[in-house]
Amino acid sequence: MDNNVNSRPAAMAGGEKKLTRKERIINKVRLHLSMSVREIFEKMEEDETRPRSMAYFDNILAKFMHEGKGVIKARAGQKVIGTYCVFVPEEIIYAAGGYPVRLCAGSHDSAEVGEDFLPDVACPMVKSEMGFAAMPILEFYQQCDMVALPASCHWKLKMGEMLEPFDDVHMLDVPRVKEAERARVYWLDEVKRFQARVEKITGKRIRRKQLREAIGMIQRAQREVHRFQELRKHSPAVVLGRDALEVLNAYFYDEAEPWTGALSELNDELEARIEQGIHVAPPRATRIMLTGSPMVFPNWKVPFIIEDLGGIIVADEFCTSQRYLSDMVSVDEGTMGDMLHAIADRYVLPCACPTFSNTIERRDRIARLVDDYQVEGVIYHVLKGCHPFDIELKIIENLLQEKGVPMLKIETDYSPEDVEQLRTRIEAFQETLSGRR
Amino acid sequence: MDVQRLRLIVQSIAFILLIYGGLFAIDLGNRLPTFACAYVPDNGGGCFLVGFQHMLSRPLPQFMGEQGIRLLKAIGIFALWAVVINKAWCGWICPFGLLQDLLTKLRTWLSIDLSRFSWIAHKRYKSVKYILLALLILIPLGIGNGLISRDWTAPFCQMCPARPILPLFQGDVSEFMIDFTSIPTMLLTGAAIILVGLMFTTAFVKRRFLCSYCPMLAFLSLFDKVGLFSLKKYGDLCTRCGNCFRACPMEIREIEEEKSIKNLVTQDCILCLRCVEACPENQALEARFAGFAFMKADAKAFLNRQHGSPAKPKPTPAQKKKNK
Ligand code: SF4
Ligand code: SF4
Ligand code: SF4
Repeated sequence: MDNNVNSRPAAMAGGEKKLTRKERIINKVRLHLSMSVREIFEKMEEDETRPRSMAYFDNILAKFMHEGKGVIKARAGQKVIGTYCVFVPEEIIYAAGGYPVRLCAGSHDSAEVGEDFLPDVACPMVKSEMGFAAMPILEFYQQCDMVALPASCHWKLKMGEMLEPFDDVHMLDVPRVKEAERARVYWLDEVKRFQARVEKITGKRIRRKQLREAIGMIQRAQREVHRFQELRKHSPAVVLGRDALEVLNAYFYDEAEPWTGALSELNDELEARIEQGIHVAPPRATRIMLTGSPMVFPNWKVPFIIEDLGGIIVADEFCTSQRYLSDMVSVDEGTMGDMLHAIADRYVLPCACPTFSNTIERRDRIARLVDDYQVEGVIYHVLKGCHPFDIELKIIENLLQEKGVPMLKIETDYSPEDVEQLRTRIEAFQETLSGRR
Repeated sequence: MDVQRLRLIVQSIAFILLIYGGLFAIDLGNRLPTFACAYVPDNGGGCFLVGFQHMLSRPLPQFMGEQGIRLLKAIGIFALWAVVINKAWCGWICPFGLLQDLLTKLRTWLSIDLSRFSWIAHKRYKSVKYILLALLILIPLGIGNGLISRDWTAPFCQMCPARPILPLFQGDVSEFMIDFTSIPTMLLTGAAIILVGLMFTTAFVKRRFLCSYCPMLAFLSLFDKVGLFSLKKYGDLCTRCGNCFRACPMEIREIEEEKSIKNLVTQDCILCLRCVEACPENQALEARFAGFAFMKADAKAFLNRQHGSPAKPKPTPAQKKKNK
């Protein structure tokens, strides 16, 4: 990859040549990204048992082949607010009439662009995010009127300033020790500061009614998610894990309301399939759960390996997937203060992100998933450079050992280079799992 | 069924029974562990504390005889009520509790935000009710043995904010005043009026403000361990999301924080069951009666309660086509 990708306007002022080089790079990255996305869709088409209602979600992600044009459906004049991680309250964005887009990224090609901003050891996710922010590869990264970035891990903490040349950045300070009373009060203040900022961007004050409606909208989405997860418990499986990842990933870019409708259709289809006895994996497929660093489209490397080898991902513990919409806001009195408090609590207190000091929430969540989904083996995915998840590995390993569930750690990034090596290891792992029956 | 609505109905029925029951010849006895104020002319049952204080105002030797047996009998009836209904007395029956809940409804209707105690303050004030309980035992004993003036008779009743208010519901305004007979009566009845004022003002910032200081709650909570109602938490299912803590009118933090204690009927808990309703995690919280779980936290029910009627999302274009 060409290295001189400093896209600050000043650096480009040099003249024609540099500009064309930048354009060359952009074109190359767009082409590569579109090729890798196409490859994914071609592979998925081979799968004849795929639920038809997946088309809606395919439709969103397939737009990555065309510079992301039309991925987000913001109306004219509607402000687009980019978010990272799982701590940015979408209810507030919706209530103010904005359009939230989650920008967490999974592209190997944009990660190569992002390498110019970050040290080698940085996790590929932040690299990929930087790449998309700095270069017009996917359209919607350039459409954001503001991006909200929680200071979760250290990479994210420092990414704010790096993003500043390209975006209007709002940092959110997420407290680390959430048991402390002051931490909670402080976080509630952070949420209010965010609210004020969003209101300024959209020019609309949030009133009680709009906030309640926005909360209700997300709750309805969560109700479908809940139904979906219940259906995933079925054995033999009725939906592939990679499709489940896709469904949640599509939520990043879609509006909550139509997305909920589409998921409800998918759920209906899956329910019908259970009645008809149609399933996507043989009853003997090894039931695998994923945990660790998040997987974001189009980084479907590991899910494809697992499911091509005949395993089935029945659950995951990713902030980009199953954990994204699992925790719920509980409106109690319905006053403005009550709702904001409820929102603030929902995004931090039950969150199992390893950037918090305690691991108990994550341990309990994993133990519960293992039981509920009859998980036979866990694959712990560590993105190279993702320290928070790497640090917690031992704790989770011990927990699973106690529960008698085998675990495989894989450390990888977004590049396709290690696919064969991963395949060999995952194959061996799945064999031991079937051997244990 | 929405438990909070059910609770309001039960509270209202109890209110009518306790305040007007006498008019229909209903009598639930005068050992009730709740503020069924004895000063209400034709009440349907009486508060335990008034008789209790009078019974204690005796010279000590008398307790060795008949007086002692009478006292034990009274306490026995109280204990029975306390074991069977626990502190659901407070959450579901107490007329004074209902009044506070109604004021809270008025506050939320006016969309006035709640304010909370800091955790440390909450902990500190919790002991006030035990001090009051100790005083309402010691002062009558002091009177009975000639150590304290008779003006302090039934000291808690004199300062109780329910005494000026509840008789009003039968049109009796005679209790709504300060008794200037002597300095003690003036102090005590004055305190009652101040507490009434506090009840009305604090209702616009807090829920059940006076309950945290109620000696009846202190007395009832002595029976927490043996009560038939219990709140059970399955710690490994709880995500510590804090929803229960926010919903709790008594600001009980243990309900969220604890992952290991099984029975969570804590000192201040009034068994209103709001926490179970606010819990979004399947079976994390459970309310039981005599070992039988009659209510469990449930994600689906939670969501239904939360967003009420507009449950169906808008149909997508594809769905619309299908319907045609
Ligand atoms: S994947 Fe890990 S290192 Fe990367 S942004 Fe997320 S938490 Fe940070
Ligand atoms: S509401 Fe339920 S899950 Fe949340 S902290 Fe309370 S008991 Fe735990
Ligand atoms: S702990 Fe639960 S039942 Fe007890 S007072 Fe609080 S909300 Fe009500």
